Amino acid sequence: MGEYKMNKRNRTLSGFIMHIMIFLLILPLLVLVVWSFSKSWPWPNIFPQEFGLRGILHVLDPSSRALKSLLLSIRLSLVVTIVTLILSIPAAKTLGVYSFKGKQFIKMLVLAPIIVPPVAVGMGIHLTFIRLGLANRFIGVVLVHLIPCLPYGIRILTDVFEIIGESMEQQARVLGANSIQTFTNITLPLIAPGLISAGSLVFIVSFSQYFLTFLIGGGRIITFPMMMFPYIQSGDRMMASAYSMVFILATLVVLIMMEKAIKSYYSTKNYFYL
Amino acid sequence: MIKEKKTIMRKIILFLLIAGLILNLVGCTQEAVVAGENEDLLETNWESILEEAEGTEVNFYGWGGSQMTNDWLDNFLALRLKEEYNITLNRVPMDIDQVLNKLLGENQMNVTGTADVIWINGENFSTARTNDLLYGPFTHKLPNFNQYIDVESVEVKYDFGFPVEGYEAPYGKAQFVLVYDEARVEQVPKGHEELMELVKNNAGKFTYPAPPDFTGSAFIRNIIYDIVGYEQFITMKADKEVIAKAIQPAMDYLNELKPYLWRNGETYPSTIAQLHNMYADHEVFMTMNYNSNEAAARIQTGEFPRTTNTFVFENGTIGNTHFLAIPDNAPNKAGALAVIDFILSVEAQASKYNPDNWGDLPVLDNARLSDSERAIFDEIQIGKGALPQHILLDHRVPEMPANFVPIIEEIWMENIL
Repeated sequence: MGEYKMNKRNRTLSGFIMHIMIFLLILPLLVLVVWSFSKSWPWPNIFPQEFGLRGILHVLDPSSRALKSLLLSIRLSLVVTIVTLILSIPAAKTLGVYSFKGKQFIKMLVLAPIIVPPVAVGMGIHLTFIRLGLANRFIGVVLVHLIPCLPYGIRILTDVFEIIGESMEQQARVLGANSIQTFTNITLPLIAPGLISAGSLVFIVSFSQYFLTFLIGGGRIITFPMMMFPYIQSGDRMMASAYSMVFILATLVVLIMMEKAIKSYYSTKNYFYL
Repeated sequence: MIKEKKTIMRKIILFLLIAGLILNLVGCTQEAVVAGENEDLLETNWESILEEAEGTEVNFYGWGGSQMTNDWLDNFLALRLKEEYNITLNRVPMDIDQVLNKLLGENQMNVTGTADVIWINGENFSTARTNDLLYGPFTHKLPNFNQYIDVESVEVKYDFGFPVEGYEAPYGKAQFVLVYDEARVEQVPKGHEELMELVKNNAGKFTYPAPPDFTGSAFIRNIIYDIVGYEQFITMKADKEVIAKAIQPAMDYLNELKPYLWRNGETYPSTIAQLHNMYADHEVFMTMNYNSNEAAARIQTGEFPRTTNTFVFENGTIGNTHFLAIPDNAPNKAGALAVIDFILSVEAQASKYNPDNWGDLPVLDNARLSDSERAIFDEIQIGKGALPQHILLDHRVPEMPANFVPIIEEIWMENIL
């Protein structure tokens, strides 16, 4: 009985903390939504004095090309996500399952692009890409997005491979499956949850890239953040909020769709290690 | 035995892959496209330039932080260019320093770029010119330039004291104005003395953005002009000691003002955007702008209160001209020429002047306009919160040479901050 009571109190306390946390996370987003519809919001009013649709109408107006760049951004980041995952799986398996000399060093090295700021290498990459004919092109931007994205993809999947190990794959091989069958029937379903989290993070990292897209895309590839940042910089809060709101919504929708797609493909019943 | 063979094979394949990758990177020095193959474009006549421009795509690179400006380019200019020349205008929101970085990189590799028209002035223009990044001189080719622009005017010949020499065409004019809230400022100051009095009586209600913010820096230059006059700076040497001595009275003034500023002058807003938002939030009762009509635009968008108005000092405020240039490695120079010429037309300048569209001051010379053309400009209703063109032009003083600006900012930081 006493234990039950204790449990209940604990639960109300943790529930309370959880609600506060959610509130703290949601509140700034709410402010963003309010700002994207308010003309002015001077201190000390708790609520804005005047509302308007200027921001959201501008984003939706075809002549502003905001939606066009949003679609381009989504396409670009999806391609980057897929390429990153394809490159990450073998690398992550090697780092997670096998042991070899210098493994720790390579694990560190994988994180290098996050540690070294892109500005430091950006100009050099730009020159090289001009020479290779990759600058100002979609493929060039995809390649340059791989730099900040790969560390996340590889690190998350490495942890997944460390957990699942190689025993299930070996079992499949013993039972006569070839390497492709093993990969599609055993490895992929096993790492599917890892793919979802790695894919989500990589998508977000690619979707919010600004500087590298700018430099390599050279104004030919105009992504959504490139339309959004000038407004944030110039202090037009209504416009900046409207763009940010669309930015967040688009990310959410894509991520939810991505998760649904992967989950429905590899039905969840086999997650024995979770 | 077999296993060993397999690992050796693997190693060989791995080696080949790596070697291939490296060779690929080194060997792939693609033939750089050499820029400037249509160098003779300036030799041909205007009709053939227009013919070449017809149906092409022109990439317009410029600052994209103002909705009004963006909408004018997207809704007016792009549509009219499509109708007139079947040109597709592609607006690229990019800050000029980023454009210059890109051009410098491309210039180093000697390849054709992507920008056809760039929006530029001042220090950036002198940087671009000294690095040979611009195409020209081209302005003498433009019919509208020859017809409507006063080529002898100081504002067309010099950009922040740097000779233009036909490498950029005027786009619009800006002038520094002070913006205030009629509901909270009783008496508009006519000069620096009255401003001091007003700020002293309303401590904490005024401030200016700290340089190197563009507008804050202009405010300081304006105070300098108001106290010591602007004439001496035209011939002055760009020497820190000489300048420091000349502007000492202005520095004393700003120091006297400092304790009465917002937060006792211990800190300054770092950007004009921040000051605008502080003004919109009623934290201060005055803001400032290097675009004389932006306050009117912000009343229209609802950001600023309806009681907002602008004023200039009796001794005048600084004005400058912003320009359009063509990069030396522009892929479509003919298209760029056609676009710039169209922007210099009466129709485009009048539309740009209309505060409903943008509210940027026209660059055309009044004396060269016909009566009917002048009437087009006169008919435009300038919005609430903006000053009419003739008041601005009567109170307009030229900018200092561009290389004075960083020196003055340095002196400010040493003396005031």
